[in-house]
Amino acid sequence: MWIEIGHIAAIAAFWLALTQTGTALAGVTQARPAWIRVSRHSAFALLALLTLAAGSLVGAFLSHDFSVRYVAEHASLELPLFYLATALWGGHEGSLLLWAWLLALFNGITVWRHWSTHSRSMPWILAILGGLLAGFLTLILFLSSPFERLNPAPANGRDLNPLLQDPGMVFHPPFLYMGYVALAIPYAFGMAALITGQAGEEWILATRRWTLFAWISLTIGIVFGGYWAYYELGWGGYWAWDPVENASFMPWLTATAFLHSVMVQERRGIFKTWNLFLIITTFALSLLGTFLVRSGVLSSVHAFASDPGRGVYILFFMGLLLLFSFGVLVLRSDLLRTEIHLESPFSKESAFLFNNLLLVVAAVTVLLGTLYPLAIETLSNAKVSVGAPYYNKVFIPIMLGILLLMGVAPLLSWRRASLTRLRQGLPWLLALSLGGVLAAWWQQLTHPYGLATIALILFVTATHLLDLIQQLRARMATASRQGGAPPAPLAALWQLLSRNKRRYGGMTVHLGIVVMSAGFIGSGLFQQEVDLFLSPGDSVKLGRWTLTLESVGSAARQNWSAVEAVVRAEQNGESITLHPQKRSYGKRSQPTTEAAIHSTWSEDLYVVLGDSVKENTWNFRIYRNPLVLWIWWGTAIMAFGVAFAMMQGRRNA
Amino acid sequence: MKSAWKAVLLLAIMAILVLFALGLNNDPHAIPSPLINRAAPDIVALDLAGEPIRLADQRGKWVLVNFWGSWCVSCVAEHPYLIELARKTRDRTDFTIMGVDFKDTEQGARQFLARHGDPGYRHAFDPNQKIAIDWGVYGAPESYLLDPNGRIRLKQTGPLYPGWFEQVALPLIQAPLTQTEKGAP
Repeated sequence: MWIEIGHIAAIAAFWLALTQTGTALAGVTQARPAWIRVSRHSAFALLALLTLAAGSLVGAFLSHDFSVRYVAEHASLELPLFYLATALWGGHEGSLLLWAWLLALFNGITVWRHWSTHSRSMPWILAILGGLLAGFLTLILFLSSPFERLNPAPANGRDLNPLLQDPGMVFHPPFLYMGYVALAIPYAFGMAALITGQAGEEWILATRRWTLFAWISLTIGIVFGGYWAYYELGWGGYWAWDPVENASFMPWLTATAFLHSVMVQERRGIFKTWNLFLIITTFALSLLGTFLVRSGVLSSVHAFASDPGRGVYILFFMGLLLLFSFGVLVLRSDLLRTEIHLESPFSKESAFLFNNLLLVVAAVTVLLGTLYPLAIETLSNAKVSVGAPYYNKVFIPIMLGILLLMGVAPLLSWRRASLTRLRQGLPWLLALSLGGVLAAWWQQLTHPYGLATIALILFVTATHLLDLIQQLRARMATASRQGGAPPAPLAALWQLLSRNKRRYGGMTVHLGIVVMSAGFIGSGLFQQEVDLFLSPGDSVKLGRWTLTLESVGSAARQNWSAVEAVVRAEQNGESITLHPQKRSYGKRSQPTTEAAIHSTWSEDLYVVLGDSVKENTWNFRIYRNPLVLWIWWGTAIMAFGVAFAMMQGRRNA
Repeated sequence: MKSAWKAVLLLAIMAILVLFALGLNNDPHAIPSPLINRAAPDIVALDLAGEPIRLADQRGKWVLVNFWGSWCVSCVAEHPYLIELARKTRDRTDFTIMGVDFKDTEQGARQFLARHGDPGYRHAFDPNQKIAIDWGVYGAPESYLLDPNGRIRLKQTGPLYPGWFEQVALPLIQAPLTQTEKGAP
């Protein structure tokens, strides 16, 4: 019963989305504010209806209603409550519903927050967001409905894919979708500014928090994907340059470029067309990701749903959106001519320009690597795959360039940087970086990229701290010059930070990236691996660890049973026990590996139990992955930095 | 924006869209086997009853080689069709079926056949996946159709489906052999 109500609510929401677009357009072209108010109320009603629709599906999961096809395919009586409640996005149809619901939510918030402040662009924003919603609801209702019934209803469901029964997978999709969908808001503002001819700075100021929110959600979503791959797939790594991973990474790269270049427009009024180009490209790339994932044109570990019908529709939708957006940009870009040019190559704005160039080139290389196999297959019927060797060659140098710019940027000021500030710090910074390289060399690190990264990591960290110290000194000096006692250093630091939340939030994000880079270098260049057969009692040495297989037994939980090995690992008197498993989830009987991981700040010991080759002998893969924890902690630092930056509203003029 | 840039931008977008439109016809799961139109690696093994079995003995017939295992869920779905196909083609002198039970235990295979029905043809037993690796099998079930000269003509990844023999195999079997397919003298 509830599912039918949800279905009807979704259908009504589809009509309301069309109403939102139609009435907004009618209102703005015929100058009738009443129509636009209808559009506004549609936005709120739409959110309520989609909440009901998504709620009915969650309710069906929680009540084990296997007469709903989607529930029967993605849950079972044995599925634990945590995964039952989140199985909504365990498959294609529910994921799309979550997408649409998030878009409706952000749509509602936008109308609520910006209605009175942006009355001129609001009709266009409503029209664009309504159109997007209608597009997604068409896909949901006509091509991938989660509201279908099964008759007769099975007694039990097929259970959620065991690989998805992992905390990393519970959080990965919603964060990623939040990122994708929140990008629609700055996109809609940008388009509205372009259409109304008010492509000044206002749309950028208004959507700064949206952009930050979208960016950090995307970041967290991508990292959760890597985290899941690392803990659940058991191949010892976290990133494989799979087409669908790339699809999430490309909008991240262009969104990062956008995040930086809007600052230039805000301060200096330049890069106007460029910013619009970036936000359109970013949003288009996030739709491209949806297309790649949902249509199955590329072979990928993620190609869940290969359905040409859906593919044709998403392609049509994406083509419409791309041609509309870029068409408007091309037609209207002449409005955006600015006469200001860069004054000096030594300025913050030119550092941002190079940062943007590198990020966009990086996005283009990933796009090429992703589309090349598709092009080859389409044109010549051969299969090729583009993997890590290509990306390592092309991508790492670009990223090193970006790290270099990241280190230089805090030393530069707007318009024209004085070289004296650079000269003061530079010898020390270079000496520090060089010292780091020598120390690494001494530790037998010879890989050129590794050495370069270590130098840059030290350089970036040092310039950021140097900047903080210089600012702090200046503040304390001013305070004492104005008479009165100099403030306590900590109080002054707090003042400095809290009055410049944007600046120091951003710099915290940079430090997070530095921490992550250390993790990439550690795990990328220093991974050690052994692949061998062990019988109980056998030992093996890896790094400083001595691992002994003690026994192999069994384990079971609510909906799985497993072969579980007990492995003792020892170093310098420290002794730990690891329990790698090979799990069978009864229903799907597809065994999954549960790697046993011992994480410390310096390295992860990662043990995977393989097949039994003969009586009492098992295959094991054991990895030493240095500094993996730094990747997750780097992300946490980034999230903290963004949250700090978001606490500040508009920049004080 | 200069008009040259405008043109480049729009052309690039059109090119990507056209590529996607063409790419929609691709099947991401169809991975062509490099063995197509090559001589199949011979299979010399023991069957499930412990008797020697050899693929080359079937030269002169079309042979369907079906890789399966009792651990494979899709094989259960495929099995009724294999039983039907074996029954339907029992009287053909130009076609036979051979199973390869890989990554399996003898007991598991026997239980599988007892539970889901025995199609009657013989199965090479490949517990260490030696045959499967030679043939480039990466999933189960996978099936190969060999012509009377022992060349692989077709590969089916995933279960065979009702009508497969008539729609896919028969046209090949009935087509006259071309000069190259007759093999070197």
